[in-house]
Amino acid sequence: MSMDYPYDDLLDLYFSNTPATAGSTTAAATISSCEEHGNSSNDWSLDMDWDCDYRDLIESMMDDEGAMMESPPMLSCHNAQEGACNSASTGLSTAYGVDVEEEPKLDESKGLRLVHLLVAAAEASTDVKTRELTRVILARLKRLVSPSDRTNMERLAAHFANGLSKLLERANQQRQAGPHQQRDAYDQSDVISAFQLLQNMSPYVNFGYLTATQAIIEAVKYDRRVHIVDYDITEGAQWASLMQAFVSKNTGPSAQHLRITALSRATNGKKSIAAVQEAGRRLTAFAESIGQPFSYHHCKLETDTFNASSLKLVRGEAVVINCMLHLPRFSHQAPNSLISFLSEVKTLNPKLITLVHEEVGLMGNQGFLHRFMDLLHQFSAMFDSLEAGLSIATPARGFVERVFIGPWVYGWLTRITDDSEVESFASWPQWLEANGFKAVDVSFANRCQAKLLLSLFNDGYRVEELGQNGLVLGWKSRRLVSASFWASPESN
Amino acid sequence: MFHAKKPSSMNGSYENRAMCVQGDSGLVLTTDPKPRLRWTVELHERFVDAVAQLGGPDKATPKTIMRVMGVKGLTLYHLKSHLQKFRLGKQPHKEYGDHSTKEGSRAAMDMQRNVASSSGMMSRNMNEMQMEVQRRLHEQLEVQRHLQLRIEAQGKYMQSILERACQTLAGENMAAATAAAAAGGGYKGNLGSSSLSAPVGPPPHPLSFPPFQDLNIYGNTTDQVLDHHNFHHQNIENHFTANNAADTNIYLGKKRPNPSFGNDVRKGLLMWSDQDHDLAGNQPIDDEHRIQIQMATHVSTDLDSLSEIYERKSGLSGDEGNNGGKLLERPSPRRSPLSPMMNPNGGLIQGRNSPFG
Repeated sequence: MSMDYPYDDLLDLYFSNTPATAGSTTAAATISSCEEHGNSSNDWSLDMDWDCDYRDLIESMMDDEGAMMESPPMLSCHNAQEGACNSASTGLSTAYGVDVEEEPKLDESKGLRLVHLLVAAAEASTDVKTRELTRVILARLKRLVSPSDRTNMERLAAHFANGLSKLLERANQQRQAGPHQQRDAYDQSDVISAFQLLQNMSPYVNFGYLTATQAIIEAVKYDRRVHIVDYDITEGAQWASLMQAFVSKNTGPSAQHLRITALSRATNGKKSIAAVQEAGRRLTAFAESIGQPFSYHHCKLETDTFNASSLKLVRGEAVVINCMLHLPRFSHQAPNSLISFLSEVKTLNPKLITLVHEEVGLMGNQGFLHRFMDLLHQFSAMFDSLEAGLSIATPARGFVERVFIGPWVYGWLTRITDDSEVESFASWPQWLEANGFKAVDVSFANRCQAKLLLSLFNDGYRVEELGQNGLVLGWKSRRLVSASFWASPESN
Repeated sequence: MFHAKKPSSMNGSYENRAMCVQGDSGLVLTTDPKPRLRWTVELHERFVDAVAQLGGPDKATPKTIMRVMGVKGLTLYHLKSHLQKFRLGKQPHKEYGDHSTKEGSRAAMDMQRNVASSSGMMSRNMNEMQMEVQRRLHEQLEVQRHLQLRIEAQGKYMQSILERACQTLAGENMAAATAAAAAGGGYKGNLGSSSLSAPVGPPPHPLSFPPFQDLNIYGNTTDQVLDHHNFHHQNIENHFTANNAADTNIYLGKKRPNPSFGNDVRKGLLMWSDQDHDLAGNQPIDDEHRIQIQMATHVSTDLDSLSEIYERKSGLSGDEGNNGGKLLERPSPRRSPLSPMMNPNGGLIQGRNSPFG
């Protein structure tokens, strides 16, 4: 049996590293009972680059995930087989039995242990009966790591541990809490600062924005009136670059009029409505400052169901639908909200639909643990990519991680926990195709722009074509975010 | 598809024949006593766009084309003869669209070499290929320039949000601010609706990142085109040498130097100076805004005070306010060529004049 669950064995090993300080639960019992085993595993090589390898590890663990799903949270001790771990990694530190906290060199082997603790916590959290176990594992994790630690894995683990324990808290007091998600109490200007810093640190945000913007510019080249319906406008930063492009272009109609309709959902409370209004004021001021004819509309949805008749349309204007789904959504949107939106806007005969989304497996009927691993994988790639450009010691990075990425992780965790969020289809592009939307080719200029954008950052980023109508931004072997372009079936 | 707004700067470097580039309009005229218009690739593209927009070559008239193109200095006479040629299909440019990628064009070029039987045909094709390569190169340069403008626009927009957010907070907390300042907290403390008052540092600046490697495939042509980047390159060098090693480290991050790219590449460094281009053509966006940005940049480049801020703030110590004050009071003599860096502190004080405020 132990061969089937290599990570459980590993988990035990790692527990054995730390003297049982965890308290009086099953986990603690496990820890003490494994002690002698941990000491015996000395035959692993020392030299390896954990910063790179833990992602491979996660990958390999995902392969084993089927086996894992069948097992209830397993923390009991088995006679571990070191050999079972060899598939996951080439070796581990020989210095077993030494306390990690006393020996800074061991930071790296700690990474693996953290992954196992996280997986154990996630697994335990799926069952109400093991809630106490989850709490204990998380307590241990939180003692081991903090968001200001020195390695990527520690920080990542800290954010995931925080996210999981918030989730646990929320589950404990679910009865009182309304449908609103508690947004983190970070100051709004901090969040914006962090957002802007992230834009400078990584092509992630701008890849989505600029690729979509470029496609829009090309699609409406000859239209005098352009109407963009923005599914989620957030701060509105995407439209600054579009306006800039409109005013500096020299073909087609001289003064293109731009209209943006931003959606807001009443279910998210006044704060989100205010944010959408504020974005409108800012965009109007910005348009005025550069001389772009502009008008802004705010479409308040009472429910998550969208109705095309709630949009004000002008005859002859080119309609563009913009769906940026790659940024943290701090406000809640019901799972079917996007489906309802896209099905309805089809009747408007849009010239272009831009879709940018994270490459995280929220789709398909994979279990929670699979989604959790995928999420961990996604964010570890993201941390890795940040690390390549900016040392972990840089305060700006810590700031972005705490203020922006931390809440982002939590937002994702709530979404992957909620089974109603999970769609049965494999991906949004697939859904669009199945629903009769037409693919719109990515232009040479757009591909070129994406490559140029990446060349401003570190070597590990790459851009990949996804069929004729999509571009994907990846970090090494991991896809991070993809953009694809569509048109309504009737448009020519 | 991008189009030249001010192609003159581009043309100047690789069109070394006796041409005269006319100001903003980007028209290239011969220096003959009777100037003839040179239909550059980009001008032709604009022409084709205009024709397409007007419903094809048979519907378009020189007059309507002139209106749609809106290029200064272009006369009905020029358009009439060009449209005539275009209608007759004698225009060599029209084949360019056939090769959609540079790989395609290169493969096509090889094929031409093998297949072309008469030298006349071959030279004609070579000429076309050259034009094609030039067009691609030009498009890439255009993409590069537009990308720069777009990122800048976005940055400026974000900056405006930040200023406004700080301003709002400053307004709301005016009373509290005075009280807190009296208590020795300093003003940054008043922003502190959050516990982690931003240890906002200089973002890793695009300047420090690798340049546009793709351009190198064009070899010598690229050299020429990139020559006009030299001036900026000097600036960059100066900037880096003027600052100490720590500074450079911050900007360069952990980027490994890539030895396979020599001087050519460094010439190609994209210049992100906010003086290079303005948002709306040549019009300065807003002087006040610019001044703010410059001031913020001044402040950010003052490394000593910055690192001080870092240490204090990353420690989340309560005593942040004094640093904030110092940060703003210390002027820096250097004007960094870097684009504006974020500085919420600066925004707080200067933001009152913000054009987006």
